[in-house]
Amino acid sequence: MRLPWKRSAPEAASQTSAFEQLAIPLFPSLYNVAFWLCRNPTEAEDLVQETFLKALRGFATFESGSNFRAWIFRILRNTWLTSRTGLAAQRTIALEDELERGNESGPAPVPEGAIDRQTPELNLIRLGDQAALRDAMEKLPSPLLEVILLCDIEEMKYREIATVLDIPIGTVMSRIARGRRALRECLLASEAQSSEVRA
Amino acid sequence: MTDHLTPSLLNALADGELSADQLVVANEHLAGCLRCTSAALFQTMLKSATARAGHRFAPPPQFEERLTRLVRQEDGPPKAAVLSTASGSVRVFGFAGWATSCALLLVFASIFVFQRDSRRIAIASSEYAGLVTEICDQHVATLAANLPPQVLSSDRHTVKPWFQGKIPFSFNLPENLPSDTKLEGANLTYLHNQPAALLLYSIGKHRVSVFVRQKTTAALSNGLLTEHAGFYVARFGTDDLDVVAVSDVDPARLSSLVSLIEQVQTGARK
Repeated sequence: MRLPWKRSAPEAASQTSAFEQLAIPLFPSLYNVAFWLCRNPTEAEDLVQETFLKALRGFATFESGSNFRAWIFRILRNTWLTSRTGLAAQRTIALEDELERGNESGPAPVPEGAIDRQTPELNLIRLGDQAALRDAMEKLPSPLLEVILLCDIEEMKYREIATVLDIPIGTVMSRIARGRRALRECLLASEAQSSEVRA
Repeated sequence: MTDHLTPSLLNALADGELSADQLVVANEHLAGCLRCTSAALFQTMLKSATARAGHRFAPPPQFEERLTRLVRQEDGPPKAAVLSTASGSVRVFGFAGWATSCALLLVFASIFVFQRDSRRIAIASSEYAGLVTEICDQHVATLAANLPPQVLSSDRHTVKPWFQGKIPFSFNLPENLPSDTKLEGANLTYLHNQPAALLLYSIGKHRVSVFVRQKTTAALSNGLLTEHAGFYVARFGTDDLDVVAVSDVDPARLSSLVSLIEQVQTGARK
């Protein structure tokens, strides 16, 4: 019969190994999202490191077979919320969230203006400009940026995003629509500014 | 066709979130609606453009290596892993914060203990000063009254039993005194409202008052000789007793008498 403390070492090693197999491939994605949220390389590194350590320590509670990516991104997001930049962002978006409070419980009605129905020429005019698009993303408030990052860059499903952000799917859909609308408006404003300079 | 696709459907279409039934309905509509087709195309292209623009920040090459090492070190003691981070300022600052907190706690504790001891010393000094004043006053009053002692005897076996039932403690008296030192007698007195034995000695023509009382909370330091209003005051303490002697005799001779009294107190308990 093996004693418990003699069993624990190899079990811990195998657990760490399993964690590494799941977590390390997500490392670039976690760092990219962390950088977008923190806008600072040092803070992004700290955030990812803290996320990895928290995830490893809590890995025993992770249900095997469930969505590890959503789980670790949720840890990242919750860790960020308690960081300096996260707290600052929460203070900044307080009013924005107030506006959204009525839509938290069910499918959110998306305003008609959230979708551009103008000509294809106008729509496509700035999408090739990466710098303009990045500028537009940087201007997004963090609740909208979060869903855009998870949906468009990480290609998460709405259900996963809802799990990561701990919000209803209806709110995910609402924020995606508002985020894309904000991006479009920013691109149009940027295009108008460039046209004025050219003229 | 008048009912265009809703914004939610258009976004869900771009994100691949439509169910099979919803997709059939959406495709039927898009086949005949240029406006919604344009909007759907824009959503899809914006999504892919955002994805390209969003993959912007790559981690430093050494960071992944460091993180992997850190994760493996977590198998060991957690403290070692925390300390081994190269740039984990959050963890290091956390440790530094704890260390600073401990250091501050020690400093405050030291200050508290120092202040408490200082206060205790100040209280004891204050109490002793009051005691010395009262003893000197009683010594002067005894000299001025020029009355015989309540128990008039030079025999220690007479003086000591006289206090039985008068004071809640007992004490010893030295048998062999220097040639010019004599026990004159004793009085029952009160110091700070506590009963005390006042032993009256003479050294030559000098009178010595020795007060013996039960030990109080304010401990007296042994063997210290102080001066008050021209009188010398010597004192010692045992586990149970405080003894204070006052006289205008030479301090060395006063100290000698006090030493003899002290010796018989401690000697009797050995």
